[in-house]
Amino acid sequence: MSTNIQQLAEVDRIIHEPARLMVVALLAAVKEADFQYLHQSTRLTKGNLSVHLSKLEEAGYVAIEKTFRGKYPLTMCRLTERGREVLDGYRRVIKAAL
Amino acid sequence: MAKRLIQRAHNRDGLPEIAVGLIFLFVGALSFAQALLPRESTGFMAAVLVLALVTPVLCIGAPQALKWVRRRYLIERVGYVESKPIGAKRMGMGIGLAVAVAVVAAVALFGAVTRFAQPDRWVLAGTGLLGGALAVLSGQLPRFVVGGVLMAVMGAVIAFSGVSLQIGFAMLFGFTGLLALVSGGVVFFRFMRQPAESGE
Repeated sequence: MSTNIQQLAEVDRIIHEPARLMVVALLAAVKEADFQYLHQSTRLTKGNLSVHLSKLEEAGYVAIEKTFRGKYPLTMCRLTERGREVLDGYRRVIKAAL
Repeated sequence: MAKRLIQRAHNRDGLPEIAVGLIFLFVGALSFAQALLPRESTGFMAAVLVLALVTPVLCIGAPQALKWVRRRYLIERVGYVESKPIGAKRMGMGIGLAVAVAVVAAVALFGAVTRFAQPDRWVLAGTGLLGGALAVLSGQLPRFVVGGVLMAVMGAVIAFSGVSLQIGFAMLFGFTGLLALVSGGVVFFRFMRQPAESGE
């Protein structure tokens, strides 16, 4: 039990932040989603969401691709394999500790 | 939790309810036509065939049609999302549900042949209950819970009111379809009245 509790101190800080956890959890449930969809689902402001996505991209957890669908700019986001592994690890640690 | 959020996002524009409402009204109208027309008539046969062949196509095609409408006309409002391919667990649940429905139908048929029960009643009540349960489980929003409960109750009430199977189906699907259409229409209207946000 104490080992499980101590593991909490080692959880991934990037994913642990609530807004980023929300984004990662959403992306884990779909193949890919665009910025607008994430904005609608999380209710984060666009600036806030943009900053969090950048951090997740820098960490290599989320892959971002900017494309167009007709005239509509699409910023497609998807969880990378690394992101999925980190989320699984995070889930295990939290579950074991609580 | 994330899956629930995604399901809610999927239903927030009201389009799935509108599609379900239209399909239910279509099924209700065909059931009513079967009840009205003489059994040997061409119209009756056509209604049976259309119900058996077109309804599954509509059910399978509706999600694709919704996807197309959203991507063509609503992408700036709802965004773009690509679902994961159906997993083994979900596929298993779908097959399990189909088997359960087949077993219920077989029991009803057995009941009709052996006359140990009144299958019409059980089929109507079972349809209401199954449809209601599916609405509650898949909707993840209070209005789906209300719609699901109403469908289940309506199924039970119609089942024991003594009407024929076709009239019962027409009433059940007509009522539920109208409810879904009105509810989806109101949600869609409100959704479209919200200002669209553009740019990132």
